[in-house]
Amino acid sequence: MTAATTAPVMAGVDGAAMPSLAEIADHVPRCLLAAWVEPRTATVLEQHVVHGDPRVALALDVTTEVMRSSERPPRMVLLSADHVLIVQRAAHDPQRALVVICARSANLGFAVALVRMFADARVT
Amino acid sequence: MATVPVTLEVLQMLEQVPANECGALVRQRTDGTMAGALLVEHGRVCWAMSDRYPRRLTDLLVAESDTLTREQINEVFALCRRDRVPLGETLVARGLVSLPVLHRVLFRHTCEALDCLLREDSELWTWVEHSGYGYHPMLTFSTAELLTGIHALEHPTIAARALATLGAALGPEQRGFAIQRTRDARLPLAQIGCEDLDLVEFADLATQANDVMTTASTVAIEVVVAMIGERACASWVEDDLLFLILCDGELAFNRLLAQVATLTRRP
Repeated sequence: MTAATTAPVMAGVDGAAMPSLAEIADHVPRCLLAAWVEPRTATVLEQHVVHGDPRVALALDVTTEVMRSSERPPRMVLLSADHVLIVQRAAHDPQRALVVICARSANLGFAVALVRMFADARVT
Repeated sequence: MATVPVTLEVLQMLEQVPANECGALVRQRTDGTMAGALLVEHGRVCWAMSDRYPRRLTDLLVAESDTLTREQINEVFALCRRDRVPLGETLVARGLVSLPVLHRVLFRHTCEALDCLLREDSELWTWVEHSGYGYHPMLTFSTAELLTGIHALEHPTIAARALATLGAALGPEQRGFAIQRTRDARLPLAQIGCEDLDLVEFADLATQANDVMTTASTVAIEVVVAMIGERACASWVEDDLLFLILCDGELAFNRLLAQVATLTRRP
């Protein structure tokens, strides 16, 4: 297990502090990685790695590539037998998308809803 | 089988016919003779004819029905010709054939005749306007239906498999289609409820889903759910078939996600 965090500089959501990637990773069940990406260029802006599995790093690469090549849908969930890759474009900044990669669990809908909520949070 | 670009060319031309007009797209050979025509009413095809197409509607109807005879059809045909009313609707109104059977037979006839017509070398198409009959919408066909039907003629076994898989996967108020992925093209082989998608939408959805699945499959992704425009779209691949389920509405994404999650859940 590894934990490498670059703290995002973000302020409040309706007065409350916007969670960092580390906090997002803590909240989303079985989270393996959380990242902000720039979909147009497939650039990873910052990431928080919970689990250093090379398959997770590869999954992030593929997710950003999918975002770049597929006219960048605002919401996307990719399912494999082992992993869930959740992509949600930031509501207030279309140049950023939140990517969260989790291990498969029964809480899929909950994880997707959380990621959406975090990506929709207003950065002030 | 007509080539894919030719099929698309004609169907795109059909979509450019003004939505409220009725008439015929007539195909002429270079020597001036008529190869055949498509009758079009309000953007939908009512009938296709080709002088290369050997089957008659009567043959197909009799083959599909246990009780209908040629004599009965000929009698109704004469009546329809005299009174200038549509044959199909009259057969249904008299209880000689059911609407689903007539729909199936007309669809087959239209696709096969159109396929023959598209194989003509000529590029000359002429639009001839005329007044419409007011056909039952179920007895006319959209470009999406025809495109799928023509490709299914060439691959009947795979098309039947695609349709069965799609039918089993669709939930209430959902629609979808299946695409055969070949090296050079993506051919629609089956659709349920997608009759009213125009060809551009059809192609865009297929292209986006195919691009995503091609990239995502490198990390063993089996199903993708995405918002494309205003609709939620789930896609997955089985052998060389790409399936798409479309779902509209406020909670479409979540409903679709819950539905397709079971496709990849480990026992």
